Amino acid sequence: MKRLIVLSPLVILLIICFFILIYLLSNKDPSKPPSALINKDIPIFESKSLYETDKIIKSQDFKNKKVLINFFASWCLPCKVEHPLFFEISENYPDLFMLGFNHKDKSEDAKNYLSEDGNPYDFVGVDSDGMIALEFGVFGLPETFLINEKGKIIYKFMGPLTKEIIKNEIIPLL
Amino acid sequence: MKLYHSCRKIAFVNLFVFISFFEVFADGTLDEKVKNLTLELRCMTCQNQSIYDSEADFSKDIKKIVRTKFEEGKSEKEIKLFLVERYGEYILFKPLLNYKNWFLWSFPFIFLMFGLFFIGLKIRKN
Repeated sequence: MKRLIVLSPLVILLIICFFILIYLLSNKDPSKPPSALINKDIPIFESKSLYETDKIIKSQDFKNKKVLINFFASWCLPCKVEHPLFFEISENYPDLFMLGFNHKDKSEDAKNYLSEDGNPYDFVGVDSDGMIALEFGVFGLPETFLINEKGKIIYKFMGPLTKEIIKNEIIPLL
Repeated sequence: MKLYHSCRKIAFVNLFVFISFFEVFADGTLDEKVKNLTLELRCMTCQNQSIYDSEADFSKDIKKIVRTKFEEGKSEKEIKLFLVERYGEYILFKPLLNYKNWFLWSFPFIFLMFGLFFIGLKIRKN
């Protein structure tokens, strides 16, 4: 027993080292820091529709709804890569509200982009000055968020989505 | 009468010079404040560059918001908290002084004390 007490600092040190090792080997990408907004309420915003400027969407409109928010732009090439995947999501999950934010883009370019590649979003909001993106802690396009029925951000992905990411990370949350 | 007009002209010129100087000075301090704060912020889309040094789109937006917040009368601490709430502590080069960080920095010393205590105990018993 006494020996165990004397050895306990060494055992604690080994346990700590083990957890540090697991953390270091967990393939964390330092260029993709975790979002500070995970498990926090959706930021307050108001955005005009890209198509009908008198239509406005507010953060308060999402009560009791699961929402997928995607920040995109016509000038963003990785956005083009992930774009077709949103059609699959909206087809398989019709109850999920898909909100696209057109970020720092020309309205005409955005409309052309969505008419050429199709529009998977239920609402396309305009974020011409990037202030909505700033509220969401966005620092590069594309970025995708998932909001639960309580209005909390439960998931964030930086960069273009892939089929694997949707299957392994997004679908289990829907 | 002539003297009165000359004095009035001089007074106007002086007032104009004073106001211009004050505006330049005020802008100068605002620029300094923006510079000092943005030097402490990390450009999240660049490699080891501060927001101040970077010309990336993200950095330009942050510089703009920092300036706006200063103009609104917000303090440096308030602006930092505003950014940390959205981008996390990663945006700061210097971490915040909070309980979590205090524990992180003091933990090795606590652990050392713990170890020394046990070594002392062992030596005393021997």
